[in-house]
Amino acid sequence: MSRRPPKGEYIETDTGNKVARKATLVGTQNIMLGGKTVIQPEVMIRGDLARSVPPTSSSGGAPANNTAVAIGRYCFLSRGCVLRPAGRLYKGVFTYMPLRMNDHVFVGPGSVIQAASIGSHVHIGARVVVGELAIIKDYVRILDDSIVPPNMVIPSFSIVAGQPARVIGEVPEGGHEAFELRDLYKTVGNNPQPAPS
Amino acid sequence: MAPLTPYTYIQCPCSDVSPLSRSNDPNSPSTAGADDEERTFDPRAPRSNFSLYPLEYLLYCEDCHQIRCPRCVAEEIVTYYCPNCLFEVPSSNIKSEGNRCTRSCFQCPICIGPLSVASIDSQPDPNLLAAPDQAQSGTNILICSYCNWSSTEIGITFSKSNGIHAQLAKIRNGGAPRLTAKEHKEKRKEEAAQSRLAGASSPESEQNLDVETQFANLKSFYQGQLAESSSGGNGLSSLGDLGFASPNSLSRIMSIYTGGSLHDKRSRSRVGTMREALDSDEGLQLADLDESAAISKLQSEGYEATISTDQLTEQPPRLEDAHLHGRTRFTSELRPIPYLLRTKRSKRCPVCRHIISKPEAKVATTRFRIRLVAGSYIPTITIRPLNVPGGASPTSPPDALVPLQPAQFLLTFRNPIFETVKVTLATPSKTPGRFPSKVTVLCPQFEIDANTDVWDEALNKDDTDKDRRRRRGDENNNGGNGNGNGNGNGNGNQPEAGKIWERGRNWVSIVVEVVPASLRLDLLASTANLAGGEGIDAGPLREDEDILEIPMFVRVEWEVEGGGDEVGSAPGKDKEATEKRELAYWSVIGLGRVGQS
Repeated sequence: MSRRPPKGEYIETDTGNKVARKATLVGTQNIMLGGKTVIQPEVMIRGDLARSVPPTSSSGGAPANNTAVAIGRYCFLSRGCVLRPAGRLYKGVFTYMPLRMNDHVFVGPGSVIQAASIGSHVHIGARVVVGELAIIKDYVRILDDSIVPPNMVIPSFSIVAGQPARVIGEVPEGGHEAFELRDLYKTVGNNPQPAPS
Repeated sequence: MAPLTPYTYIQCPCSDVSPLSRSNDPNSPSTAGADDEERTFDPRAPRSNFSLYPLEYLLYCEDCHQIRCPRCVAEEIVTYYCPNCLFEVPSSNIKSEGNRCTRSCFQCPICIGPLSVASIDSQPDPNLLAAPDQAQSGTNILICSYCNWSSTEIGITFSKSNGIHAQLAKIRNGGAPRLTAKEHKEKRKEEAAQSRLAGASSPESEQNLDVETQFANLKSFYQGQLAESSSGGNGLSSLGDLGFASPNSLSRIMSIYTGGSLHDKRSRSRVGTMREALDSDEGLQLADLDESAAISKLQSEGYEATISTDQLTEQPPRLEDAHLHGRTRFTSELRPIPYLLRTKRSKRCPVCRHIISKPEAKVATTRFRIRLVAGSYIPTITIRPLNVPGGASPTSPPDALVPLQPAQFLLTFRNPIFETVKVTLATPSKTPGRFPSKVTVLCPQFEIDANTDVWDEALNKDDTDKDRRRRRGDENNNGGNGNGNGNGNGNGNQPEAGKIWERGRNWVSIVVEVVPASLRLDLLASTANLAGGEGIDAGPLREDEDILEIPMFVRVEWEVEGGGDEVGSAPGKDKEATEKRELAYWSVIGLGRVGQS
């Protein structure tokens, strides 16, 4: 605590986000952070891969929402992971689809996420590849080195592993609290607190 | 060697009553003596595998006040749903349609990745695609985006992009039409009507039958045979029917006791009463032994075209086809796998039948109506290596324990309930197994403060921090060490017998000292000789025998006021006076691997 560099390793925003200075955020205007989210060094978020065509012609009245990556509260993006919105043909035109991530999502180091949506309380291990437009529901644990195939839907309370990933088990009833990332949030930043024992 | 993260497993009391009942004795000593050795729980016993669970897997029955494990709870299915489209399937559909998704959810037969429907029209018409709810005409295929398998490899395309399951049921590999189970049934009915009219077998009865038709034919044939034989007479002719309630058995027994011309009757009736099926009308299917086609295919396409056992077992049963007798050997014979349905289940206590876990019925919600998990009733135990001040290096790798060198671990007990609990620990002084390590719990008896509101901690974070420090100073009688972060890098902190290492709002840390055993087999043999005469197994080191596991008997006592159970989902009992509660169970503390010198 005595060693306090003049410029911290992290930028801490008003909403409590802790973004490492060494993280690469491309297209920041298209990245939404919900607050209290940690982005560690060497993370890359590709906000530049935004939707290139308006979502629907029918609801054209609303201003175009160009969010490419939406992240909820208390998410934790470990060192070296990549969030990359996936693209596909939509009405015959190639466009990127937004990547939505709910609260309490942990992304392990070196993982590549190209999902369409990730629910809340999701733990993604290290070196995981989540394929394009995969949908991950709530309370899902993806073990290290898994490869989730594109378009896969992972239902709630699944434990997933393998290449390609398959559901290998169920999250037990008592294991829900382990997904909480509030304590982990406190342990990083410019003024880190020790993990409660 | 893979490093081992310390773990705690807890034994469910359902598994083995005999050793537990003895240990449940309230007069049991707090520390197990050497004479208690054989009574203690052995985590390495083959049986223990089935009774040890991490805390998260355990539930707790509020009425029985006992731990319940996944093995002893009774499960009831609340909802069936498809894991891919997340649509709920009514249980009536399960009976009629089977346990697989009947929408358009398929898994790749090669890699089990999800299959998606893709249109292979040469030119996607934007006007047509603009109406997504309107079924696309044209050619659609199923494609796996993981391994790039597509249904064109087995010669299947679909005319519509929805209702793939129904379409697939009508197409054979290669594109030839096939009959669904229902159509087969109708066809059988027609055939039966025809044969009754014509009095002769239908012309196509000689061809391959599907499994269901074959079974129906066999069944009707043998039922006819049974009826004939039972009407044909008594004796031992009807060995096929051993039901005691049938008149057939009765007549047989009667004939045994009545005697008489039994032998003649028997031999007479045996002839021709039970014959076997002779043609496909009666359910006989001749095995196709001509495998030249398969051999030539193997020669032309090679190993790549064959399938693995895993792929074969993933295949759904095909009741609509002829019996394959495991003859599916080529990837061209595989079919897309409809997703197996998944369930949401509620759990009941096996003893009092109260529900202890019940999820919401809707697929989309993750809430639980009732969720009585053991983690909110019994203390959690976390393990951390303790780096003693003055030790060689505070960052020494804790992965491998050095044999014969004392190591200290910090066990932190966290109390989840709103009452102060008294914890009593007991461990054998030497761990069971071939390589007994010495274990000393420095403070086997302590109290943990109640779990107050979480907000207290959040709001008074600084206070609790100070509090922690103060208490720690009190406990250790040498206050003044400022850094209360539990690493023990203050100078005056020596683990002391009978003293708590550190305590906080609702947790207590104690020190456990272990002296890991040497894993050397020659030493084992020599000590065995010294001990004299004991038949000690001097075989090579078995798998995971180097893991230092401590069996620990945990007894938790607390007092509750009337209806003072913490989670108010069970009906509250109106007891006014405080009541003493006790819960005792075996647990296993896995500390790490012992290094091999």
